[in-house]
Amino acid sequence: MKNKFTILMTMVLFITISSCTKEPETSDDVVTTPEDLGQKILDDFSNVVASDIYHDLSENTSLLYEHVLALQSAPDENLLTTCKQDWRNARSSWEKSEAFLFGPVSTENIDPRIDTWPVNFQDLEGELAGSHAFTHDYIDGLQDALKGFHPIEYLLFGQEGNKTHSEFNAREFEYLVALCENLKELTSSLNASWNTNSTSSYASTLMSAGPGNTVYGSKLSAYEEMVNAMAGICSEVAEGKMNEPFVLQDASLEESPFAFNSITDFTNNIRGVESVYLASFVEDGKGLEDLVRQHNLSLDSTIKSKIQQAIAALQNITVPFGQAIIEQPVQVQNAIDAITSLEETISTDLLQLVQLHGNL
Amino acid sequence: MKVRFLKKSLAWCCLLLLFIISCKKPETWDAEAYNEWYSGGQQTIWDQSAGAFSSMFPVISNRNALIHEVGDKAFEATFVSSGNLNPGLGPLFNSVACTSCHINDGRGTPIGPGTQMVSLLFRMSIPGEDPHGGPLGVPGFGGQLQQNAIFGAQPEAEVEINYSEQSASYADGTNYSLRVPNYSVVNAYAPLPGDVMFSPRIAPPVFGLGLLEAVNENTILEYEDESDADGDGISGKANYVWDVLASKNKIGRFGWKCGQPTVLQQSAGAYNEDMGITSFLFPIESTHGQTQHIDAVPEPEISDSLLYAVADYVRTLAVPARRNADDPQVKYGKQLFHDANCSSCHRPMMQTGVDVSFQEVSAQYIFPYTDLLLHDMGPDLADFRPDHRANGYEWRTPPLWGIGLTDIVNGHANFLHDGRARNLEEAILWHGGEAQQSKEIFRNMSAADRDALITFLKSL
Repeated sequence: MKNKFTILMTMVLFITISSCTKEPETSDDVVTTPEDLGQKILDDFSNVVASDIYHDLSENTSLLYEHVLALQSAPDENLLTTCKQDWRNARSSWEKSEAFLFGPVSTENIDPRIDTWPVNFQDLEGELAGSHAFTHDYIDGLQDALKGFHPIEYLLFGQEGNKTHSEFNAREFEYLVALCENLKELTSSLNASWNTNSTSSYASTLMSAGPGNTVYGSKLSAYEEMVNAMAGICSEVAEGKMNEPFVLQDASLEESPFAFNSITDFTNNIRGVESVYLASFVEDGKGLEDLVRQHNLSLDSTIKSKIQQAIAALQNITVPFGQAIIEQPVQVQNAIDAITSLEETISTDLLQLVQLHGNL
Repeated sequence: MKVRFLKKSLAWCCLLLLFIISCKKPETWDAEAYNEWYSGGQQTIWDQSAGAFSSMFPVISNRNALIHEVGDKAFEATFVSSGNLNPGLGPLFNSVACTSCHINDGRGTPIGPGTQMVSLLFRMSIPGEDPHGGPLGVPGFGGQLQQNAIFGAQPEAEVEINYSEQSASYADGTNYSLRVPNYSVVNAYAPLPGDVMFSPRIAPPVFGLGLLEAVNENTILEYEDESDADGDGISGKANYVWDVLASKNKIGRFGWKCGQPTVLQQSAGAYNEDMGITSFLFPIESTHGQTQHIDAVPEPEISDSLLYAVADYVRTLAVPARRNADDPQVKYGKQLFHDANCSSCHRPMMQTGVDVSFQEVSAQYIFPYTDLLLHDMGPDLADFRPDHRANGYEWRTPPLWGIGLTDIVNGHANFLHDGRARNLEEAILWHGGEAQQSKEIFRNMSAADRDALITFLKSL
């Protein structure tokens, strides 16, 4: 009788333990050793996060280019609305990718060429009033503050964010089309640089981290890169993008003001951090989360809850950011605090854990 | 009786021990061996990621940390022509933000994607000296070629770069090739004088400058040997340049030819010449007197406090720690570095002076691998353009700390004053003049020894 009870209890315990174990995300995901996990984190970051987000970005900027071309040939309000949505979609992918601003986006100087703020309005108006053809090379040679997301945003949405298709003139269309083509090309090259199937891509550099790799001499250095980038964007959002306009009470410092998109931008920055941590975008993979869970479940839960708190605090801001810095100071301060708190956990606790256990 | 005997023995033992200790020669404290992981002394950070050059000093007062943050934002700020946000750009400029050239606070590269030259600029002058002994600006162009302009203004000129390959081989028969640049100035907005001289300069990394600034002049002069009195073939000459704020000549420490005495003046000079931004130190636009001079924004275009904050930001950027310093190959490479006499100019260690007002940099053992002096580097690297006391063959010994992280921080390994070397081997092989002998030692090394030396450099 006692024996039967023991067997029964053992089975119950076994079932309980098995059911508590996290299911592998995909069939080829079974990780047996710490070294396997170490490699899988780098592979999945490259495959599931970076290359998928950049692929998304590239697709969205291609659509934007295609649609502004159509808009130029037959201006139409519905088409303009589609272009505006394309811009938002591209922006969403880009802001998520800002959670890993290392590699070609930084070293090839792509970031400033597609996302510089402020716009040089005086020169932009000069370009529109001028007669120089907006050729490929001409756009390529323009200063950073005259190309990329924000001049496109200004041309699409207008100063007050309510531009209609009938307000465009031919020169604006020409500039818009040329800028969108430039954005498409730069993001496409970014996408190519993270092509996980190419041995010369940055993705292969990251995935082959270890002795002999000239960039990442150890896997640890690659994890540190990821963690520092996550902390970096949190600090950029809290201290730069949000705090500067807030403390100076100056809405002109706000990014993405014409599309009223700033809060969405900030939220997508944090969602990007979440994607890197979980190795999750369209698919799920093994992420830093899995390394943390092996050693400190409480830290894992802290990071996840701080990510959610930061997103929730941003969602509590109910008016466009330029307005919120005046009208909703408490909500803005709460969001800054929540993101700062997330940044502190990442740059201290997560970094330390990775440095302690990431030498795989 | 037994106790007495024990006491006696114990006393003898103690005496003997004292004798032994006192006879032992006191060991000299080898500061270099003890501290070499800590390249920046107490201001060393343990980061080997893309942000390795961008960390604030780990030991810093709250006040200086706050200034660092303000300066950090200003260092990233993009300038525009007019408006209420960062106005004053140009009318002529090389780039629109400090970070455009010093990407990730690191090293520039000669050509960006496409043909855009982002971080390589050209100093220019004609024979003669300015009132302070510096280079004489070119009439109608000034001291630096600006290749960009705001809308409505014409850039001064464009520069085209062509490279040719020059093959040679190591003593063991292994071939190598060096990339020889050829610069042509085209589309100049006005005729250039026939005797104009150009000097290409790539943006150098900006971390650790506060520590270098804190090195006493006498410490630098310890290595000076202008007339090569010791006959080792290596001279080393200090540059003395005009300090605008102090209104007198001071030792030059910064820039490829030690042309700037302080971080503040280096920063103000870059604002003025690179971006067309005036400050209290340089309140006159670089285009003053030229036809492109359009100036809607009143001087100074950057406030005094912001200029100081940017200089303080740069001063308080920490130095990355060594990696693998105990690795046997690295240690062997270090020995070869010394044996080849590289350390005669790339001086491994210095001590900073005592500075009670800026304790963060005070009295630190640092490992910058520079002597902050000028050396003749031979005709192949010469720009044939004098700059204060530096002649056309002389260049400052650039610091080597952090050099092994260039790949991760900047995505390339281009070195030397114009980025012509595509890796560390090529950088060594370009050495000439006073460094000719060291280069020959390197060329005669076995492949394994060359690898060890490079591995050592990568650990810096």
